[in-house]
Amino acid sequence: MGKPNKSIDWILLIFIIVLVLIGFMMVFSSSYPDGYYNFDGNGFYFFEKQLIAGIIGIIAMFIASFVNYRIYRKLSIVFLFFSIIAGLSLFTAYGTEANGAQRWISIGPMTLQPSEIIKVSSIIYLAYLLEKKNKVIHKFREGFVPVVFWIVFFGGLIVIQKDLSTSMVLVLTLGIMFFVSGANLFYIFISLGLLGGASYYLIIQEQYRIDRVLSFLDPFKYKLSLGWQVVQSLYAFGTGGLIGTGLGQSRQKFFYIPEPYNDFIFSIIGEEVGYIGAILVIVCYIIVIWRGLRISINADDLFGAYIATGITSLIGIQAFIHIAVVTSSMPPTGISLPFISAGGTSLVILLSSIGILLNISKHADI
Amino acid sequence: MKRPNLKIRKRIIFLMFLFFLIIIALIIRLGYIQLIIGEEYKKEAYEQWSRDITLNSVRGVIYDSKGKKLGMSIGSDTVVCWPDDVKKLEIDYSDIAINEENLFEEFFMKLTNPNYEEIEVVEQEPENKQTPKKIAKTLAEILEMDEEKIYEMITGDENYVTIKRWITIEQSKKIKEANLTGISLIEDSKRVYPHGEFLAHVLGFTNIDQVGMYGIESVYNDELQGVPSRRIVNTDSKGRVLPYGYEEYFEGEEGLNVVLTIDETIQHFAEDALEKGFNDNNAESANIIIMNPNTGEILAMAGLPEYNPNNPREIPSNINSENYTQEELQNIWFKYWRNSVVNDIYEPGSTFKLITAAIALEENKINLNTNFHCDGYVTQIESNTTIKCWRYYNPHGDQNLFEALQNSCNDALAEIGLAIGKETFFEYLNALGFGEKTNVELNGEAVGIVNNPDIMKDVNLVTQSFGQGISVTQLQLATAISAISNGGYLYEPHLVKNLVDQDGNIVMEKKPKLVRRVFSQDTSDKMLEAMKSVVSEGSSRSAYVPGYSVGGKTGTAQKVIDGIYAEDKYITSFVGVAPTYDPEILVLMSIDEPKESYYASTIVAPLIGEIIENTMQYLNVEPKYDEEELEKIEKSYVVVPELEGLTIKEASEILTNLGLNHNVTMEISEDTIVKKQYPESGTEILQNSMITLILN
Repeated sequence: MGKPNKSIDWILLIFIIVLVLIGFMMVFSSSYPDGYYNFDGNGFYFFEKQLIAGIIGIIAMFIASFVNYRIYRKLSIVFLFFSIIAGLSLFTAYGTEANGAQRWISIGPMTLQPSEIIKVSSIIYLAYLLEKKNKVIHKFREGFVPVVFWIVFFGGLIVIQKDLSTSMVLVLTLGIMFFVSGANLFYIFISLGLLGGASYYLIIQEQYRIDRVLSFLDPFKYKLSLGWQVVQSLYAFGTGGLIGTGLGQSRQKFFYIPEPYNDFIFSIIGEEVGYIGAILVIVCYIIVIWRGLRISINADDLFGAYIATGITSLIGIQAFIHIAVVTSSMPPTGISLPFISAGGTSLVILLSSIGILLNISKHADI
Repeated sequence: MKRPNLKIRKRIIFLMFLFFLIIIALIIRLGYIQLIIGEEYKKEAYEQWSRDITLNSVRGVIYDSKGKKLGMSIGSDTVVCWPDDVKKLEIDYSDIAINEENLFEEFFMKLTNPNYEEIEVVEQEPENKQTPKKIAKTLAEILEMDEEKIYEMITGDENYVTIKRWITIEQSKKIKEANLTGISLIEDSKRVYPHGEFLAHVLGFTNIDQVGMYGIESVYNDELQGVPSRRIVNTDSKGRVLPYGYEEYFEGEEGLNVVLTIDETIQHFAEDALEKGFNDNNAESANIIIMNPNTGEILAMAGLPEYNPNNPREIPSNINSENYTQEELQNIWFKYWRNSVVNDIYEPGSTFKLITAAIALEENKINLNTNFHCDGYVTQIESNTTIKCWRYYNPHGDQNLFEALQNSCNDALAEIGLAIGKETFFEYLNALGFGEKTNVELNGEAVGIVNNPDIMKDVNLVTQSFGQGISVTQLQLATAISAISNGGYLYEPHLVKNLVDQDGNIVMEKKPKLVRRVFSQDTSDKMLEAMKSVVSEGSSRSAYVPGYSVGGKTGTAQKVIDGIYAEDKYITSFVGVAPTYDPEILVLMSIDEPKESYYASTIVAPLIGEIIENTMQYLNVEPKYDEEELEKIEKSYVVVPELEGLTIKEASEILTNLGLNHNVTMEISEDTIVKKQYPESGTEILQNSMITLILN
């Protein structure tokens, strides 16, 4: 036990690289008009940033894949502090307000998205906690209560940044880790029921909330307000059809879809490379999820298994929500597509997490 | 360390299964969107990207036969708007998630602070940021329109709206300077009729989109309009043309120019005379048509009351629009827009006697010496009502054809009609085009009412032979009488001479179209003689013009309103041809409900004479005087006498006796001596001329 004598999961690595390359391509294509018109004719503006982040991320992934993940167990308390500091950093002088929300901190020329750091840190801390509580995990007082406390705590750290959708993703991810670790299904169902009931109650209180939630059922009714982006996204998919308009040939990226390189990048994929291209991208995610959970099952220890479950779920959930939103399959919310959407912090952190995953795979008994 | 136990593995496998399920659901959903309903989205997306820019080709000009512009288009910008571009100014592009945050924050604020009120987030707008409201305000100021109304237009559901057509050059400039989002100027043109009411009923007018609604504008709309050019481009959400995507240009066709057979000068003669007849008689309406009987070309056509095609809905000054409903106004407009010459039917009355006479001559039922006896009453047929000649109280007695026409004797014409017989009469009416459209280039042509001989009684034949109980349009009558005067050839009347493209090439030429020959040259010659005698000997003397041999016939008919003869309401008309030895023009004028007198001879004939004289001179027709006329002219010349040396008193007496006038150059006394005179003695001058006397 313990010797890193096995090889890493090459298939996972290859498909992650493929996703990153697709990301470069799509960020370049979809951000060109925005860069061209809004950044002094520099169509490469977003692409350059993505390229730099991608290179840094791949280096970080490379390094992380060589760092024995077991170290993180000892450092788990450090990750907890990371999360808290990251969560609160926004409210220091470094915090930047954008679009009315505190989501970035500026350090020198760099802007970081603390929520991305919180996501991975909290996964590591929860993995540590779940492993520690392994024996009592199914109990209420000793298992359920402390785990749920921490889940809510991490979720809350993001909520205070006014980023409800990211916090939702994180709570779901941590919840899945809890489920996998052997949580008492009865408690899980009870808490899911309570959560659902509370949300339902909150939503039906006000008509406009009902409207907002239901706007995805008929986005065309709200075409010029809430439904705008979704309608434009559907137009993109419709235009793309089976084989797409061709790489770089999207018309919807010309300000019909706002910030198409971000929360709606999958629509541009659908438009430019069609249904076939979109399915190929989805297949990449299937492979990543499959390899990630495979690592989890075969991990050398519970800590590694939980981390692998957490990271894989995080990627999967984000991808699903992103695709579901752009296809108007759920109420609209802003979630980026992992590895593909423009966003430096997200890419670097995600690639680092893959590095951790690869290291776990190295120790796994596959 | 522990490795994942079976339970954990099972749960991970379950998770994997769950993820795959979600993925399959998403793939299906995506397929549904991209492949099944995608076409619909694609169509809408194309609509959203595409800007269809129509570049109207310039509408053709309408010319008179001499090349004078009667209707033309002038350039003038039109303001248009793409409401989606305007509305987009109000969309908040910031992340949707923000809305959720507000929702969330609000919830917590409400939990912690029960007094928390929902805060309406009012974004501070930068000064220069355009909003639909600001755009509406700016436009309202420039275009002098209602701001509310503009706001509604620019934020409406339509893809594209026209805000105002045909703005002034200053307005165009201001709008360009204002550089408003979603608002564009389109080069456009406006239809203008430089002569206002002139020829309105023939020209017609166009609607706001320059589509012909009436008259030549309507009948020749397609030719005048041409095919507009269109350019379809894809643009981004802010209206900038995309670097790629669909772009197509549809080359249009220039509109053609229409050259009319109408002669502006003759039309002026016609309109001037018509106005006189209309005003002097306080008439309901009045109409005139002047044709070239040899070709069917219409040289002038007019009707009163009239309207201004530049503004066809402008209410006539004597009507207060506030007193009428929209429907009533509509009816008033329709009344003004009607071209009675072709759209309305009437009973021609005595003018129709020419037709009856010509048929009888052609069929050899009568000759010029046939004697017709008028005893005041038509006795040959059985009838419930007594049919009498208009001068039954003093019957015309024995008369030949010319005399019968001069007298406009109903009794004689009844006899002629009966001699022709129903079938033959009907055959000829058909051959002359009564009861069917003449196919002139105007819409809404009436066909008239001609009885079928099967249902026709003798009494109908009798009354129709002097023009009662038959309904025709004035154009039909003019066309038929043209055939009588031109050697018997019925030509299709026409208004359009040819179509000319923008480079002046004739694209289509309209040649005179012979429908059929109805009468022989002999009949025609006799009828012209008869018509001439009516003017020179008969009741229509006031249409007489020395040297131009005018022929003609009057007609006065009671108006038929709702199927019965209206009391004291007449349409009085006159048809004239000149010169009878080789007819150049045919004039038919009618006055509807003249108030003072209804005798055509007194009210219409002099106007016809005036028109014929003016037109003959304008057409440079050499006057040909017959002996009688020459004698008269001769008589009217006097030789200027020698006056120098006489006293002014003596000179004046001599001049007065000769029928000459004089004027003098200075203050005079009775016995001032004439020193010089102009013209000199021995000169032949017309009576009533002026002699200038220079005194000592």
